[in-house]
Amino acid sequence: MADVLRVSGLSKHYGRLEAVRGIGFSVRAGEVFALIGPNGAGKTTTLRMVATILQPSAGAIELDGIDVVSDPASARARLSYLPEEAGAYKSMRGREYLRFMAEVFFDDRERQTESLASAAEISGLGDRLDDKIGTYSKGMARKLLLARAIMTRPKLAILDEPTSGLDVLGALDVRDTIKEFTRSGMAVLLSSHNMLEIEYLSDRVSVIHQGTIHATGTPAELKERFGADNLEEVFAEVAR
Amino acid sequence: MRRFLVLLRKEVKELITPQILLPFVITIMMFAVIGQVVGAEGEEAAANRRLALLDRDRTEASSALRAAIEGAGFTIEEAADDDAGEAARALSASGGSILVVVPEGYGAALGDATPARIEVYSVIRTFSVMSGQDSAALSAALLQVEQTVAQEVMTEHAAAIDPAFIKDPLAVVDHVMVGDRQAQVSRDTVMAFISTQTMLVPIVLFVVVMFAAQMVAVAIATEKENKTLETLLAMPISRSAIVTAKMMAAGLVALVSAAAYMVGMNIYMKGLMEGFGETGTSTSAATAFADQLGLTLGVGDYAMLGLSMFAAILVALVISLILGAFAENVKAVQSLITPMIVLLMVPYFVSMFVDVNSLAPVARWTVLAIPFTHAFLAAPNLFLGNAHMVLLGAAYELAWFAVLVVVAGRIFSSDRLLTMRLNLAKLKKQR
Repeated sequence: MADVLRVSGLSKHYGRLEAVRGIGFSVRAGEVFALIGPNGAGKTTTLRMVATILQPSAGAIELDGIDVVSDPASARARLSYLPEEAGAYKSMRGREYLRFMAEVFFDDRERQTESLASAAEISGLGDRLDDKIGTYSKGMARKLLLARAIMTRPKLAILDEPTSGLDVLGALDVRDTIKEFTRSGMAVLLSSHNMLEIEYLSDRVSVIHQGTIHATGTPAELKERFGADNLEEVFAEVAR
Repeated sequence: MRRFLVLLRKEVKELITPQILLPFVITIMMFAVIGQVVGAEGEEAAANRRLALLDRDRTEASSALRAAIEGAGFTIEEAADDDAGEAARALSASGGSILVVVPEGYGAALGDATPARIEVYSVIRTFSVMSGQDSAALSAALLQVEQTVAQEVMTEHAAAIDPAFIKDPLAVVDHVMVGDRQAQVSRDTVMAFISTQTMLVPIVLFVVVMFAAQMVAVAIATEKENKTLETLLAMPISRSAIVTAKMMAAGLVALVSAAAYMVGMNIYMKGLMEGFGETGTSTSAATAFADQLGLTLGVGDYAMLGLSMFAAILVALVISLILGAFAENVKAVQSLITPMIVLLMVPYFVSMFVDVNSLAPVARWTVLAIPFTHAFLAAPNLFLGNAHMVLLGAAYELAWFAVLVVVAGRIFSSDRLLTMRLNLAKLKKQR
């Protein structure tokens, strides 16, 4: 499979603080690529730079052949971003929110209807989609937001803690949905503190610490390299 | 364009929430209700005017005085005591408000053409404007009596002289000049006319700008507070479309709100006028001198006035948008937009009380540097035929707008929107 995302020499400075220090990785079509690391490692900053909402201090990001830094508008049409603490417009109804997103992404009414139906199914919210988002539980809101993130079948879905706030069954549903969408070619750039989730979902993983990538490989390769039984041990080894 | 309209629809819907609508509807209803209540109270008070009369003269002249007071709509009750002081105390104790005492010798004094006395006792229980209406009506009735008496005395004792001459020996004829035009009218009349013509402009402008500024700043801060901003920024909509949609939605909602506010205000003022017994007077005389002096506005003038006001609203919107971008949450918005409200209030009050051009140079240029000043000065300038000043002012406002739009665009296209946050409460704590 071809690379959908190529990141090279990517850095981000906030004044004197170097949040990301010249990292590089790539994500193939249909692949789930995870960034793991402790808090403040630079994961969210990296995801935000790829999502075009932060500008890199240095380096290059190429999405589907487009230079994200010089042509963010074209990049935005090909990606979707689910931030860790994302919210939705509370005064809107669930269906209204999804329709708004569909109308922004697609000119064609047929595609709008199609993606709206797809989102309704992914969310699993049924009739509750006709209720105000302000009345949703945290888990329901997260499902709605995930549905919003992948309803447009983007080339790249950037998911920061996608199952945050979900119960076990909800989280399982979401993971299955992500897997299903990647089978149709969608690439996923993922970040999560749940190592079981990372191990279950990811094809490849990069361990990032203090703005630098320390290791990249499949979960099995990383475990073998660090002599660990699971990814939590790999994580701990790098973080120490 | 289609995406922009989708976004604009969403922004308008977000702004029209019960939290925003409810205080608004309540304010308008309050204005209307207060106007109606005051109006009804005034009408009722006018229909139930009462006073106590102590007639110690009991002559034909005092009877004529009684008839004149009754003619002014008062129901007369006889005073409770023959002594004026006691009668006044009894009036106060019984809840009455006015006692008129006609002393003995009133009629005789008038017959001898010597000054006669009437004593009026007023009990003050409140300082409301409405409470003074009875006294005003009595004063008008007494003035009428005085003029009638004066006329009679002059006819009887100075038949050789025209009573009109004695009453008004020096006729002052006022002429007012505006530019090279002039009319026979008093300066006060012209000022009152211009005041009624231009009174609404600064109020409308102030209300619209305040509402629009708050709405747009709150719209941005809400996106941050509800964590929807990052998603919005990663969507395939240009940053300029996001900025414009937010400003336009706030402007539209503010305009509609201001229109509703003005309707409420109108009902309120109408109620008040009815309460004070004032009705719309014929304006034909007023327009006659206004035409002579060129103090009328044509379609082009109104277009220029609209342009100046619209430009001021745009400037307020973009300033608020920038300030809202620095707010960490909705609470912080109120503090952050205070500088803009001050910028708005300075020209509002200055132009209300003084001529900006008569200020000392530093003060004058400082006030003129504020873009909103030119919108407040537009209506008076148009009446004085200074259209070029209005156009220059509007151009100055639009120049501010253009610069600020570039600044806003830079902020929205950069990391600052997400990374720069001002939390005034936190800053105060840190101090």
